[in-house]
Amino acid sequence: MIERYNLFLHAFSQEASKELQLFSIIAQSFFQPYSLMDNLLVIMTALTAGPGLGFNRAMLFLTEGDGLKGEFWLGPASAGEAESIWRVLSTPGIGYPEIIEHNRSLLNSEADTLTKRVKKLSYPLYKEPALFPALTASARQMILVRDARNEPAVDRDFVELIGTDEFLCIPLVSEKEVLGEIILDNAITNLPIMARDIELASVCGLMAGNYIYTAKLQKRIVDMRKVAAMGEMAMFVTHQLRNPLVTIGGFADQLLDPNTGKKKQRRNIQIIRSEIRRLEKILLRLSQFFRIDAGEKVAVDLQEMLKLVQDSARARIAGRRITLHTEVEAGLRVIFGDPTHVGEAVRNVLDNAIDAIGDEGQIDLRAYRENAEWAVIAVRDSGKGIPEAVKNKVFDSFVSTKERGMGLGLAYVKKVVDASGGRIEIKSTEGSGTTFKLYFKTYPRKKGTTT
Amino acid sequence: MKKKLLIVEDEKNLCLLYREELTKAGYKVTAVMDAAAALEQIKKQTFDLIVTDIRMPGKDGIELITQIMALRKDIPIIINTAYQSYKHDFMTWAADAYVVKSASLEELKSKIKELIG
Repeated sequence: MIERYNLFLHAFSQEASKELQLFSIIAQSFFQPYSLMDNLLVIMTALTAGPGLGFNRAMLFLTEGDGLKGEFWLGPASAGEAESIWRVLSTPGIGYPEIIEHNRSLLNSEADTLTKRVKKLSYPLYKEPALFPALTASARQMILVRDARNEPAVDRDFVELIGTDEFLCIPLVSEKEVLGEIILDNAITNLPIMARDIELASVCGLMAGNYIYTAKLQKRIVDMRKVAAMGEMAMFVTHQLRNPLVTIGGFADQLLDPNTGKKKQRRNIQIIRSEIRRLEKILLRLSQFFRIDAGEKVAVDLQEMLKLVQDSARARIAGRRITLHTEVEAGLRVIFGDPTHVGEAVRNVLDNAIDAIGDEGQIDLRAYRENAEWAVIAVRDSGKGIPEAVKNKVFDSFVSTKERGMGLGLAYVKKVVDASGGRIEIKSTEGSGTTFKLYFKTYPRKKGTTT
Repeated sequence: MKKKLLIVEDEKNLCLLYREELTKAGYKVTAVMDAAAALEQIKKQTFDLIVTDIRMPGKDGIELITQIMALRKDIPIIINTAYQSYKHDFMTWAADAYVVKSASLEELKSKIKELIG
């Protein structure tokens, strides 16, 4: 017999302790697609959520440069408010989004003076004389401060701010780094901080440290990938520009040679001109490629756009035995995207289709509604198909099977479709053609209005 | 006797430029635009030196060099490419010289002269 359980538990059995529920909430925050701040807030909420368990208030500092910077301070203004937060958290089946929503509203509310005050704080981590709370983080130890007003090791202004004599400082650390600090107190209920509370807080502190560290690593990986991609791009651009430049230079040198005949001179000038046009085209495509994200999403009139695209495709196939068949579903008018880029993307797909065909074949350009949400622009060609070896690389930048390909065409198409919130599907059989389907969101038409 | 060169270059205009300029420099030049055509030529006739690009559509120049070495170990090879960055790549060690493409063909010509005269 097999029993299955959701790894991400929402509801707990009667016997489950509140600690267990708390740890479950915190552990789940690692897997949520929210921002680091949102998830840290959840950890803080969990730490302060229970009357009789946990703490009244929690303050978070994160390391910035050589110091600790105040981020937020969470806590109820009264015991009654604390009760209500716990009720929210322990509602059966409550989802993560609700907790996040609750937290955000708490922080954004005018009444949240705690966070406003703590955001102004920053403490140097490694400056003498070292005082608490900053000393906690650099010492990598949990510190319980009692009788703060008479304790010389505590920063005076901080005592003033926190307004209570007893608080617990928990360092957030990774193996080598100091990542931040959490400060907990019971200023509302005035209950003393017990050994059990400290144990609980230590586990939460370790998990939060772990989480910040992981998030930092992730960010570093993304940055490294970006740098690597930039490097590859720079190399590629150099190569793309060098070839036409070398050609122009070489044939220009020949022009200067007095032995070059009239006929050859003319030919050289033509070659130089065509290479200069190619350089222009390369620059245009590169600048287009990097500008996509800046585009705005607006309603694009499909009929009009496809007509323009079709006209330029017809000009390209003139003189070849290629038939272009176009079909746009009646009533399908608007999709969501940047009009220039969407048009250019479809033009790119059509250009690919023409290149794949060569001299003879058929292209079908169709636009239709897939369902209420999606409109599809499909381009089918009877060309040579995409070779198996490059099938999963077609959208990578700088991968091309064409002699003079930039490898930007389909990468561009994908970027445009992604930016508009859509997706692309490809079906291709080597030797018998390819179908590209670009999915765009249809423009939401409100009831009772006409577009 | 004129020395025989094989040029492998996928850019049409560059292919033309190299053919003309190296012919002018006194060589007998065969120019092809991809690796498959290059291998065909190598099987057909003997060359004194091969100049090839790397990173071409279809078969890559590096793959071509490996195959040439399997066929005719003693032919000197010059890599002539727009990429500066592969110069210290271990895959290019097999070649006898590495020239970064330039509008002036002097470096290429002098490397050829150095290798076969």
